[in-house]
Amino acid sequence: MLSRYIIPNEVRDRGRIAVRLIWNQGAGFSFRPEGFYGREEELASLLRVCREGKSGVGASIMIFGPPNVGKTSILLKLKHDLQSLTEGTDPPRPFPFYFSFSKILSHPLALSQHFLQEFLWQTLVFLGESPPAAFDAEAMCERLSSFGLTDCRDLLIAHRRFSERGDGLSALVSAISFPFSTGGGIFYPVFLFDDFQYTSKLQGIPDGAILSILRPYIKSGHFPIIISGSSPGHVTSSLKREGLFGTFQLVEVGGLSRHASEALWASLFERRKIEMPVHIQKRAAARLGHVPIYQRMFAEEVSFRSAQVTDEIGFENLYALSITEGQLNRYWREFFENSFPDRLDRARAIKFLKRLVCDRFPLDTFEGALSLLGTSPEDGVRILSALEFKGLLKSDFEQLRFIDDPVLADFLYWAFERGVSGKGSSQVAAAMVQAKLARSAPGEEEIEREKLLATAKELMRRWDCREVPMMLFRFGSFMERFGGKGLLEVVIGMEREPQKMRLPKISSVSTGYRTRRRGPRLDFDLVAYGFLDAEFSEDNLVIWAVDVNGEQTLTAMAVEHFENRCRLLSLEMGLKVRQFQKWILFEGGVDPAALELSSRYDILLTHRSQMRIFLNLFGMEEIGVQAEERKPPETPKGPEPLEFELVLPMKADTEVVAARVAEEVAAYASLDKDSVDRIKMALIEACINAFEHSGAESGKVRLRYVLSPDKIELFVQDEGKGFRAGRTDESRRNRGWGLKLIRELVDDVEIITGEKGTIVRMVKFLDTGKEKEGAGSPGPE
Amino acid sequence: MSYLTVRTRNAGDALVVYIDGYLNSLMGEEVERVVQDSLDAGGRKFLLNFEGTRLINSIGISIIIDIVEKLMERNGMLAFCALSRINRELFQMTGVARYVKVFEREEEALGHIGPSA
Repeated sequence: MLSRYIIPNEVRDRGRIAVRLIWNQGAGFSFRPEGFYGREEELASLLRVCREGKSGVGASIMIFGPPNVGKTSILLKLKHDLQSLTEGTDPPRPFPFYFSFSKILSHPLALSQHFLQEFLWQTLVFLGESPPAAFDAEAMCERLSSFGLTDCRDLLIAHRRFSERGDGLSALVSAISFPFSTGGGIFYPVFLFDDFQYTSKLQGIPDGAILSILRPYIKSGHFPIIISGSSPGHVTSSLKREGLFGTFQLVEVGGLSRHASEALWASLFERRKIEMPVHIQKRAAARLGHVPIYQRMFAEEVSFRSAQVTDEIGFENLYALSITEGQLNRYWREFFENSFPDRLDRARAIKFLKRLVCDRFPLDTFEGALSLLGTSPEDGVRILSALEFKGLLKSDFEQLRFIDDPVLADFLYWAFERGVSGKGSSQVAAAMVQAKLARSAPGEEEIEREKLLATAKELMRRWDCREVPMMLFRFGSFMERFGGKGLLEVVIGMEREPQKMRLPKISSVSTGYRTRRRGPRLDFDLVAYGFLDAEFSEDNLVIWAVDVNGEQTLTAMAVEHFENRCRLLSLEMGLKVRQFQKWILFEGGVDPAALELSSRYDILLTHRSQMRIFLNLFGMEEIGVQAEERKPPETPKGPEPLEFELVLPMKADTEVVAARVAEEVAAYASLDKDSVDRIKMALIEACINAFEHSGAESGKVRLRYVLSPDKIELFVQDEGKGFRAGRTDESRRNRGWGLKLIRELVDDVEIITGEKGTIVRMVKFLDTGKEKEGAGSPGPE
Repeated sequence: MSYLTVRTRNAGDALVVYIDGYLNSLMGEEVERVVQDSLDAGGRKFLLNFEGTRLINSIGISIIIDIVEKLMERNGMLAFCALSRINRELFQMTGVARYVKVFEREEEALGHIGPSA
């Protein structure tokens, strides 16, 4: 049903741009990339994940969000971009395989058949073959075999055998596993699975079976897999069962950015010759939650009624008209009619949602939801799971969260007033306009805050009994050490930082925690609980209360207020001091009094800039980091050299971290790929030498990366007795390449052995004049 | 304890070994073991595919050299494919490239070591 609204059915023939992406049961539709707006951030990180597949590194991502918000468009745009960006590049090229589970194919045999045909067909199209005229799997196999895909025929035979036996599960296993073995040197598959929630509705197949089939491929970490679905609740619980929860990165899709939704207005209005003052456009975009589908429908409404919107009142009237009897009304009415065919269920669901979405009734537990529904438990569970399936309810294990959609809220208001109070549409519309004119739209700040919150949530989900330097939590000491430089510092196992924080394995992070329904309302932005040492005993239980402060300055009053709520919670739960962690994330500055108070109350303070180091530590730098933030704030080629430090524990493979950091540092200098690769290799060798030959007591190797306008200097310092370049016993295994390689890889090497240990200094000169040319195409040897 | 496994594929009578990730001692030894097992079972043709190799260290190179030597002793055939620029340079610097044919693509390499003997 998604396609019906977002993507026009008629194939607009705009030459080559109109890409026919999907072919299924005759219901093909087109996706027009030029009609796609915004989502730069999401797309950039998804693209990166997909392209990493080339080196056999695949990450798994789950996209979720309300119905029709544009998840499918993101996948299709990703498919389009991935193909156009990699056209003509060296093989293997990414082959984005898009598959939607939403088709009404609840029988596993039908699904597996469809899956196979779809895969074969898309593969042929990808390889530049003209698509076959009929749905002939045999013929498609025939053609594919000329590309070296020879296992295909065996697969079809096996599939026929399963079909004859009626063995749906085996058929699914063989069909879904097949794409993972394809590609060879020509392509590598990138999986874009859409409408994944439907996989729970297969006949006679246990819930989560598809994930079980995918499990080894997800675990192998070789395949980029992107799963999209309306609600994460159902899928995340399956993921947890499969032990895959930690491997998935969650991306929530909401409305567009302000900028993108305004661009969308411009194109919609231009096509329909609608004129609307710019300030009303802005207001209208915010009122519609920046959701593209609403914007399209509203534009249609305006042009259908050949109305002109000149002022605020005009807009509000037209909007109210649309939501009470026009396009927006029809959209949600059909949605509810499809989701709840039973009238009584529908009425209950609407009444229930109205109180939550429209009146913002505070509710986040299943028990609370059931009692508010006022039905028998069976009916209640049925209604709730239908809401969840449709993406109106997000359950994060035991916590519930409902969709926050301004248009839905207004629709629910209309449905409620009409159904329960028996008011006429025009009455409702009038009331709505009056209320709306008095209220204003949510600001950008709120959106930023939400983002920070989501990042913190994802972070907490990822820490798994890891040790993190306390300094990262203590804003005071952090400022002291790094405040002066104001640079991105990567800290791993900091020296002279004896205090470390053991981060528990977090079992649950939820939003808006409240103790008991009738007790005092302790409203935190995030509450998490977890267990230290991954042992689920009461003694190891740790509770985190987190607040995100979006104000310009964190005041003493805000800290005091937070502390009060924490005390209540801690009393309520009977927690010991060490079992309770209090954490405030803030965006702006800190009042000195607030800093002092928080250190007295033992509240951890973290600034947004510190968060980035966390992100790096947990390997998720792309989340919440905007594109412009990734660029250096000022040109790094100023007179002052930039200095980065890293301390490595002497453990196997930690040299990879050094290489990774080098990559990030080099990004500051916009170094070309070749130089970066050379620096990385040289560093790896220097680290290994330090580990192997130093015999150091401290078990640490200290690295410094110094970036000047004309060169990058790397210092690798151990505390041992020094390189023994001529030692012969190590050539036992043809070893001893290390130093030789370093000399080849960088421009200058110096080994300084002193009392404090050995320092290897490596220099790579930056060819400032020519580096731009070198970056793109590798020149001759 | 090692959960590290090396991906392999039989292509005709040749064994393609995919070196994914970080070629260090651990990975190198695993590759060596896979090659040794195949040699013991009568395999003679090997292709190391470096397409997924993100990093290589000197110990990894040493082990590759061991493999090269072993195969030369036993009259085996060995080719590399899909080397990134830096990895190709590394093999040149260490002299490995003199003993092993390097190809861009897997099919190309298989075409070379496949048909003859």
